[in-house]
Amino acid sequence: MIFLSFMNLFRNYRRTIAVLLTVAMGTGVLFAFKGFINGVLNNYRESTIHAMYGHGQINTKGYRNTVYQKPWEHWIADWENIRTYLAEQDVVKQIFPRVNFPALLKKGNITVSGAGQGIDAREEHTFFYDLNIESGEQLVDQPNGLLIGIGLAKALDLVIGDKVTVMVNSIEGNINQSELVVTGIFNTGTVDFDSRIFRIQLKEAQKLLATNSVELIALGLRDYTDWDVFASAFEKAYPALEATSFAVLDLVYYQHSVDWLEAQFHIIQLIILSIVLLGIFNSISSAILERKQEIGNFRANGESVTDVMRLITLEGAFLGILGSLLGIALTYFILKTFLENQILLPPGPGMTIPFYISFKFQAEMIFSSMGLSTIAAIVASLLAGIRVAKMPIAEALRSH
Amino acid sequence: MSLSIAKHSLVTISGPSGSGKSTLLNLLGFIEPVQKGEMAYQSTNVAHMKQSQMNAIRKFQIGFIFQQFHLIPVFTAEENVSYFLARQGLTPDEINLRCRDSLEAVGLWQHRMKRPSELSGGQRQRVAIARAIAKKPEVIIGDEPTGSLDQQTGKEIMGIFDQLVKQKELSVILTTHDPMVQKYAHDNLHIQDGVLVT
Repeated sequence: MIFLSFMNLFRNYRRTIAVLLTVAMGTGVLFAFKGFINGVLNNYRESTIHAMYGHGQINTKGYRNTVYQKPWEHWIADWENIRTYLAEQDVVKQIFPRVNFPALLKKGNITVSGAGQGIDAREEHTFFYDLNIESGEQLVDQPNGLLIGIGLAKALDLVIGDKVTVMVNSIEGNINQSELVVTGIFNTGTVDFDSRIFRIQLKEAQKLLATNSVELIALGLRDYTDWDVFASAFEKAYPALEATSFAVLDLVYYQHSVDWLEAQFHIIQLIILSIVLLGIFNSISSAILERKQEIGNFRANGESVTDVMRLITLEGAFLGILGSLLGIALTYFILKTFLENQILLPPGPGMTIPFYISFKFQAEMIFSSMGLSTIAAIVASLLAGIRVAKMPIAEALRSH
Repeated sequence: MSLSIAKHSLVTISGPSGSGKSTLLNLLGFIEPVQKGEMAYQSTNVAHMKQSQMNAIRKFQIGFIFQQFHLIPVFTAEENVSYFLARQGLTPDEINLRCRDSLEAVGLWQHRMKRPSELSGGQRQRVAIARAIAKKPEVIIGDEPTGSLDQQTGKEIMGIFDQLVKQKELSVILTTHDPMVQKYAHDNLHIQDGVLVT
């Protein structure tokens, strides 16, 4: 019966090709859309990681959610030893110690308040490449360089090369100041961020603050999927510290945006699925309804309804499997050959840089797309087949 | 109606269109349900039979031959015969033996590897006959089996039926309009308006 089911695929080439193409197109659409979703979310995730937080950050326990009168007392003092430990972890690729501090920025007669970030610029500039530098360049090795948000830059009427005095209240209670040179102006699209934030070298910030500690250590891992295992091991090794992923740090913009996008994608996917299933159903039903006489012949020769249904269902399964394999292969080829990095999407929430879609495919998608199409083909075969198989034999034989 | 058909005989049923001859054939072959009245098979009321019992009767005891042949187009002549033997649960050796015997009986053994599309109308009908007789049924039921064939081919087909009956292998019941076919019959039944006239 399996042999007959398979051979029946070749009895009417046009009909078989029509059904196979329907299944292939349906599977291909599902597969491509899933790849598109993955590509968009992947790109958005990577852009978020490479814009602000890295894959996550290390703080002293409870630091993020507590307001301290003297926050520096809860900073990480022995961060250099921790950096050594981190450097030994396979999954840790880059380490970014930082301090954040309030400051006043002065140019001429204009003084504005800002939120400074002291960073290891040489390390950070290779990882945080998604920070949109509107003018000038990234902070790298310039010892007295200053990278400033566009809101702040406009408030101080700054251009590249201007000198800015940064005044900071040190942890000892003194006012320290440094004259720094604007090396670059960034624009993340987030008004709040761009109007407050500026970046200087970590050593310069520590000098202004009169401390050797760092407030947090941001990390660049091998892959975002490494975070949970890394964090768990790290917190065991350093129980006084906590490791928080970027998705938690950027809950409002990133995680909520992802949840919102995924909800929409699911609805669109359901709509696509309905259309695909209907197409497959129609195609296979028509093919079976054309075979009433043949099915009547089987029944007249003693095949039971169950036997006939088994035959029809096997054919449906073959069509589903072959069609979906064809669809996946064709879709993968077309997308990767002609459309990879060719579709430009506008910037996502919290981003200013548009990005090209890179379709991301996973093994799970192959199975789910194939599975859905094959199930649709089998269900269509069952529903159409049962109608025909249960027809009175004489009536089936008389059909055209 | 009430009728008796002798074993190992060839009977034709004729009548004008709509007289009920195909319906009678379908009832005898268990491919049309009894809507009114009673029909008994080996003393068992058909109305009390399960579907599985009727399937078994069609599978083992009745061979059908249709006017349109109804061969499986993707199978060769031999596969068209052997498929239903396999469905009877026969061993491969028995299947091969019956295939050969039945195709030789209809003169098509040398064409066994051809598909229906490669055979003439008469050859296709012979394959259908081979398929029916290979099952070793008790009775063959044919609805206008020569209806789609020319006279010469029709005679050849009837010759095969005649020989099978004479060899006391089975009984044959055919519907026909063709006087040529009726000549081969031991008995010609005539139906008019659902009533057996002769």
